[in-house]
Amino acid sequence: MLEVIEKSILTEKYNEMINITQDIKEELERHKIQEGFITIQTMHTTTGITVNESLECLEQDIEDLLSQLVPEEKPYHHARMLRDYGSTAGNATGHLKSFICGNHCHFALKNGQLLMGSAQQVYFCEFDGPAKRNYTIIINTA
Amino acid sequence: MDVAGLDCLCILAQDERSVYTRPVVSNDEVAALRDANKPRFFAFASVDPKVPNAVFELRRCFDELKLDGLSLNCSKLKIDPLDTRLIDFYETCLDEDKPILFHCGCSYENNTLSEYTHPLKFERIAATYPNLRIGLEHFGWPWVKETAMLMLKYPNVYVDTGALYFDSALEFYSYIFNHEYQLTWVERSLRHQIMFGSDNPRFEQIRMAKALDKLGLSSSTLELIKGQNAIDFLGVDDNVRSH
Repeated sequence: MLEVIEKSILTEKYNEMINITQDIKEELERHKIQEGFITIQTMHTTTGITVNESLECLEQDIEDLLSQLVPEEKPYHHARMLRDYGSTAGNATGHLKSFICGNHCHFALKNGQLLMGSAQQVYFCEFDGPAKRNYTIIINTA
Repeated sequence: MDVAGLDCLCILAQDERSVYTRPVVSNDEVAALRDANKPRFFAFASVDPKVPNAVFELRRCFDELKLDGLSLNCSKLKIDPLDTRLIDFYETCLDEDKPILFHCGCSYENNTLSEYTHPLKFERIAATYPNLRIGLEHFGWPWVKETAMLMLKYPNVYVDTGALYFDSALEFYSYIFNHEYQLTWVERSLRHQIMFGSDNPRFEQIRMAKALDKLGLSSSTLELIKGQNAIDFLGVDDNVRSH
């Protein structure tokens, strides 16, 4: 059986890592789910989901690395008018950082507890904010 | 706004009811938004000149709603800026000491015609009403040299930088400021008449604001483009608004 929990988040910066681990745990507790596999998935193409240790220094290192790999000032093909949007797309960096980061993560759930390493935290990653963003917690209890 | 480093925004009503049957964004709505977010928003009226008694609505916008100016998109309305129905608008703005913003240059949206928004369409207005503050949006692109000519000739003509039709914000601004214009034109002659504008807030507000900083303009010119020129155009006392 599949259960889907939809979540919204208001990001505040152009690039930002937001620890959503506690929100996920509270949703699982609220829905009284004991066992299964969960997927946390962003619903956008300029955001990401990743797992890492929740340290300010690491968040900065990750942001620095992505900025080095995907600098703002490069001649990206995506920088063009999108007729369907009626506006110009300048957010190639957001798409490419999302591509590198990935859009989801998985965990097993046993006895109501996520099987996570002690340092593992789930991050929602904003790469083209600030914006209202959505992610889903997908629970497979089969 | 905060991420882009912008402390104030202009929000525009959109009343082209002869095209869309009713206002897309009403004057009362922008007034309410402005009042709920003082002092961060300036609100511009929009009145369809093809509707009977339009000038009374414009007076109401200024006298009752205290809106900060008038916004007109002649490409959507398919009306020549020199149409006699607009003359009362210009004289009302002059009488009320309110600026007028014209959509200028390319009209990308469906069911619009750019022939009504060529910069030269606005020259006679600038010449006839030298005390009317006229803002030409989007640099008038692709007719950017024509907007430079108008600024050079008419000190009551202002231009905003809300233009991004090709490439990234930095690439497009570099093309306008360094190829269509010269930085020296801006630094020496036009620095008091260019205002920062981003137009569509959905995509590029942040990157356009940051791109402007990277063009090689002097800090004093950047300050004018990002602040004082808009204050002059709006005709407000910066200290009174306490921004």
